[in-house]
Amino acid sequence: MTPEILVIGELRDGQPSDASREAAGVASQLAAGAPVRGLLIGSPSEPATAAWGRDGISEVCYLTAPTAAALPAGALVPGLLSLLSERPADLVLLPSTTFGRELTGALAARWDAGAATGVTAITRGTGGWEVRRPVFGGRATETRLLSGPRAVVALRPRGFPTPEARELTPVSAQRPLSEADPMGTTLVGTEPMVTGQGPSLSDAPIVVAGGRGVRSADQFHLIEELAAALDAAVGASRAVTDAGWRPTSLQVGQTGRTVTPQLYIAVGISGAIQHIVGMIGSRVIVAINSDASAPIFKVADYGIAGDLFQIVPALIREIRRVRGR
Amino acid sequence: MEIVVCVKPVPDPETRLKPSPDQRTLDTEGVKFVLAGYDESAVEQALLLRDQVPGSTVRAVAYGPAPRTPEILRSCLALGCDAVTHLEAPAPVDDPIAVAAALGHILAPRPAELILVGKQSLDDEEGLVAPALGALLQRPSFSSVTDLRWSPERSRFTFQRSTDTAIERWEALPPLVVGLQQAWNDPRTAKLPNILKARRQPIEAVPASAIAAAVGGRTGRSLPLKFELPAPRAGARMIDYTTPDEAAQRLVRILREEAKVFP
Repeated sequence: MTPEILVIGELRDGQPSDASREAAGVASQLAAGAPVRGLLIGSPSEPATAAWGRDGISEVCYLTAPTAAALPAGALVPGLLSLLSERPADLVLLPSTTFGRELTGALAARWDAGAATGVTAITRGTGGWEVRRPVFGGRATETRLLSGPRAVVALRPRGFPTPEARELTPVSAQRPLSEADPMGTTLVGTEPMVTGQGPSLSDAPIVVAGGRGVRSADQFHLIEELAAALDAAVGASRAVTDAGWRPTSLQVGQTGRTVTPQLYIAVGISGAIQHIVGMIGSRVIVAINSDASAPIFKVADYGIAGDLFQIVPALIREIRRVRGR
Repeated sequence: MEIVVCVKPVPDPETRLKPSPDQRTLDTEGVKFVLAGYDESAVEQALLLRDQVPGSTVRAVAYGPAPRTPEILRSCLALGCDAVTHLEAPAPVDDPIAVAAALGHILAPRPAELILVGKQSLDDEEGLVAPALGALLQRPSFSSVTDLRWSPERSRFTFQRSTDTAIERWEALPPLVVGLQQAWNDPRTAKLPNILKARRQPIEAVPASAIAAAVGGRTGRSLPLKFELPAPRAGARMIDYTTPDEAAQRLVRILREEAKVFP
């Protein structure tokens, strides 16, 4: 039996976000050729519809409201429930972002569905959807069966490939959220996350993180320069954010963010368990530290024991040379 | 202000992880369960707000089996919570939506102005209880919240919410459900006299039978199939070099040709 799948996506700069595109790719694979419906939250846009169509969505509709961006996730649930009662689905897929996770919980509770977030693999098993997801800060992986007729699954950003473009012509439909109630909440302001330049920490393919070994707020520029040379996001250990050298939004670890890039370069980070749990899921880990016995070298794939103030500038020069800039 | 903080017992963060004999879950033999991570921040924030708003009380609520669940509720008492409620369960509850259903069933008839939940647990990391609880109580719920404040003049909460690209500033009328990322300061530790006193304080118990109707329909909706540890890392391959330039060249070559992660 072909599953009926609805993908809920997010718009970023007028286009489906990368994570929403990945979710579309996963859905079209699971549907094995059957049509996949997509829902974007925001104002209808031809370019967004076309872009998502090329990712495998065969029908895009929009959940729009005058203030759609300023509604708590729960406010969208009544509209979603009425959509799902008109056209039932077995599975709702969405990106495991802050908003995606909120919507997963809110929708699953009211739709009486199984739910999982941060999922890195999903298959149709006997008796339901089998989802695989990192737990304990990436120190372990669990596989879970979501049984029952319905499931809402949030997919980890960058956990899946961006789909290859194909030719499809999606139909755009608008679905005004006229009765959406902001539930007594008001969005008063939005500031872009202070992550320095470059891609955002949560979905960058490369992260360069600095620790106590960098010694001062001024010298942390070295980390940012290395990150810029690699088009990487900048991260920091707790020592750095506690000292106020950089904002807490950059903190990787138990009390900060968990990141799972393709490449994680830890510079001047000793490797306290607090930090390790936030980056252990990275595919390749490189550590640069003056202390050859630092615990970070136990979890790294490649290590350079040496003075970071000599190694990092040399590394920046070499990367720029190789990348021809 | 009535403040409820929902907590969950999780394995001590220092626990050495090991799959159970049937490979389905974590082996909890000998594992110590504690109040940890975002839950500690949620309790801290509840206590700070209580001390700031005259006439406030903090009740900690947890759903799960004994002895681990009443034990972390004792920790909440030792930290300064005014009362605690144990929603009894015969076994650990794997399905976060069922947890939210149990909490919602008990909290709905006893409205609190603020329901605080850690943004996600340290073990499962689902982050679903706060949004599911908000939806069940038909109240707004926000996750990844920091800088949560109460404005007495305007009778509303203000807070920040981190999305993946921005930091938003929100206002909300009570009752509000919050998945907290960070309290105003690091969580306090309990003082010994308070730990001793907490041993004698009452724990309100709600029997599993009183919750069964609310969660029964969800039995078996989220079942663990497999718990795996990553292949142990062998330790870093250390790069030999005589000059920093040589170290840099070798590393870049490895990242390009072997690891294939160079941009």
